Amino acid sequence: MAEKLQKFTKKLPNGFEIEMVPLKGYKQIYSVAMANFGSVNTKLADGSRLPAGIAHFIEHKLFAKPGYDVSEKFAEYGANSNAYTSYTKTAYLFQTLENPYDNLKILLDLFQHPHFTEENVASERGIINQEIQMYLDMPEWVLEQRILEQLYPGDPIAADIAGSTETLQQINAKNLLDTYRTNYRPDNMSLAIVGDVDFDKVVDIVEQSPFETDKGCPKTAENSFVEIGPGAEGKMNISQSRSAFGIRVDTNSRGYDLVKLQYILNMIMETLIGESSENYQDMTNKDIIDDSFSYNVVAENDYCFIIISGSTNKPEEFQDYLHKCLLDNKLKDVLTKDKFERIKRDAIGAYLFAQNSPDAIANQMAELYFYDVDYLQLVQLLDSISLDEVLNSADEVFQNDNFTYYNLLADGKD
Amino acid sequence: MKEILAKNVVLNVNQLDKFRTIKIQIDFLRPLSKDESTKRRLLANVLSNSSKKYPSFKSLNDREMELYGAEINAYTRSLLNFNDLGFSVEFADPKFLIGDKSQIQDNIEVLSEIIFNPNLKNTNEFDDTAFTIEKRNMMSNLDAVGDNKDLVSVLELFKLVNHNNPNKQIPIFGDATQLDSLENSALYEYYKDVIKNDMILINVVGDVDPTEISKLIRDSLLGQSLKSERTDIKIQLPNFDDLVKSPAEKLDHESINQSRLSIAYVTEKLDKGFSHLAPQAMNLIFGGDDQSQLFLQVRERNSLAYSVSSSYQATDHLLTVQSGLDAKDIDQAIDLIQKQIDFMKNGKFTDSQIEHAKKVLFTRREIGSDSIQHYIMRSIWETIYPKTLLDDKSFRAELNKLDRNNIQSVAEHMHRIAQYELIGD
Repeated sequence: MAEKLQKFTKKLPNGFEIEMVPLKGYKQIYSVAMANFGSVNTKLADGSRLPAGIAHFIEHKLFAKPGYDVSEKFAEYGANSNAYTSYTKTAYLFQTLENPYDNLKILLDLFQHPHFTEENVASERGIINQEIQMYLDMPEWVLEQRILEQLYPGDPIAADIAGSTETLQQINAKNLLDTYRTNYRPDNMSLAIVGDVDFDKVVDIVEQSPFETDKGCPKTAENSFVEIGPGAEGKMNISQSRSAFGIRVDTNSRGYDLVKLQYILNMIMETLIGESSENYQDMTNKDIIDDSFSYNVVAENDYCFIIISGSTNKPEEFQDYLHKCLLDNKLKDVLTKDKFERIKRDAIGAYLFAQNSPDAIANQMAELYFYDVDYLQLVQLLDSISLDEVLNSADEVFQNDNFTYYNLLADGKD
Repeated sequence: MKEILAKNVVLNVNQLDKFRTIKIQIDFLRPLSKDESTKRRLLANVLSNSSKKYPSFKSLNDREMELYGAEINAYTRSLLNFNDLGFSVEFADPKFLIGDKSQIQDNIEVLSEIIFNPNLKNTNEFDDTAFTIEKRNMMSNLDAVGDNKDLVSVLELFKLVNHNNPNKQIPIFGDATQLDSLENSALYEYYKDVIKNDMILINVVGDVDPTEISKLIRDSLLGQSLKSERTDIKIQLPNFDDLVKSPAEKLDHESINQSRLSIAYVTEKLDKGFSHLAPQAMNLIFGGDDQSQLFLQVRERNSLAYSVSSSYQATDHLLTVQSGLDAKDIDQAIDLIQKQIDFMKNGKFTDSQIEHAKKVLFTRREIGSDSIQHYIMRSIWETIYPKTLLDDKSFRAELNKLDRNNIQSVAEHMHRIAQYELIGD
């Protein structure tokens, strides 16, 4: 075996986690700061709701500082910067060849010092509204939102991450700041850095840049989900229909167990409907799917679901086939020891592929921290999965009550 | 290490220990032709569907998984005036695996299989299932192109830009009408021609012993199949003089939420001694990143668009602007874009903008070298069009001498040649 990756870790007394991986031979330094806070975190303890899109709005507006934009500062020190919001996380990142410590200070300034004003909030609405319009023209994105509305009716996860034209109007400097203070706490964030830097210096810089927010309990409400939707269909001005089959996995698993469950579910789906399965071949031969067919297993915080989707000329057959094949669940027959070994090898390969990429390492490391999983221990986690565990999980997941669907039908006349 | 296996069959091995994977890529090159783009894309798909030894998509996928998730890719792309039909396999470096000594040889075997030992029905045709399914998949993908409005907008712009070149009127990923009439036997005939005549570049990047891998390749079905001489290929650069005189414009309406605006400009060919990096620096200041004039003026200051940017294609001297925005704002955006061009022409950009552009050019080049694909692309350019490549020393020298006049001069010699608007109703 060749040289393994090394990792340095430090958790500060305020709960902020810092992780660093040096990467031999790479010229860049990549760093990401992540908050365990995303678009779904809009339910408050008192039963009220924040406007959809507020996490994403904070992401955009944290770049604005009095008299300057943080991206200018990064550029001054030779870094390019970016940010993104997912359902459960918000991340801020930079990539640079030089001045890693100065850029780290800028990153800390970015997420530690909000400067929300009514004026800068108003100007951002137009930009984000254009972003929303852009996504509304993307059928895959529309389909994902619609199937999520079936999987989690009325839940914030069914809303666009950026919100809507209406909810943007409800976002203002005050609710941005309140929401920021609740969620950008040191104990709710992590920092990952990959590249040739001095870890002690990194820790020192972070310690010299105190958070204005306090460690404390989040004020968002615990999640409880209503019954899964019966399925639906709608039309869009597109050339080709798209279908999605959804499976909700209500689980008590958290942290390490949730990440393990995600790997298990991926193994199940790969065996039953992946490109190396009989079902994939059969659906292809019957012209039910094309090569856009795919599945996505999501296991984040309180949410665990699988979306199987693709373009199809036969939406009804698409749904019927998947419904039947998953309910029949022939996993015991097809997941042989050899197949199980192949699937594990595939996952180990994917782990090594990701290690070619500083950004993949940093983003995965920052996110796994919130699940108590050490990035460098992923292979051990994979190894710990037994064939029986996979088979038993499939029996629990493939229940009629967990299934739903959405068909987005082509309608050129709209 | 570079090795000529036959005339116009080049093997290049780049030994690097920074990556955890090894990649082998084979590119088949011949001039772009409107009659061949569809065939080449379908050929890529049919060959990567299965092979004689792995006679179904499933069995080939099982083999990839067995090889620790080896990734096989088959594609076509435009490269200068050539159609590049490429196949690659990327796999985990066996150093990081326990007891898998034959990993490299096994992956060469899979790649050789899909290209040179195809899944056939008889001596004249590919396997029916592979052909039918891949033809159907490709048709479905072509149908779906219309649903990607950004892509539609770019394709329409390039149709206008290349209106005089019929070979570029068919997109690199093919055409539905041509595909519909393409028969199995015709594709197999075409395959034989490709295998025999195309120029071939083989690249290997990763922690491999060059002599050892060269021997493995030469001894494999791959090496055995590439002993014949290949046709020379000739570079031809486009000419947009007619569009400079009379720009092409097109406007379409569709029922969509966001309108798209695409504009193409050509920069005049550079005189000898002119900085090669000037057009790229000009593009960066104009619209190439989040510190650019377009981003700051169109998006940030006027909130007109979420996306607005420009990119520069050095070989064609083309600069294109892409934007997604509200239909009602298009005229204002066009006006603002023109104002930024005037800003560049009048040399109003600051010294710090120039320094920023230089820094970004350097950073992008250096960070690019953290990707395995960077080394493969560099090797391809070194073989087919070496004069456009700068080594590190020349790059730094060019960057150092780059000044305001160089950048301003590019803007002064820039002409709008095409504009496409997709209006959302």
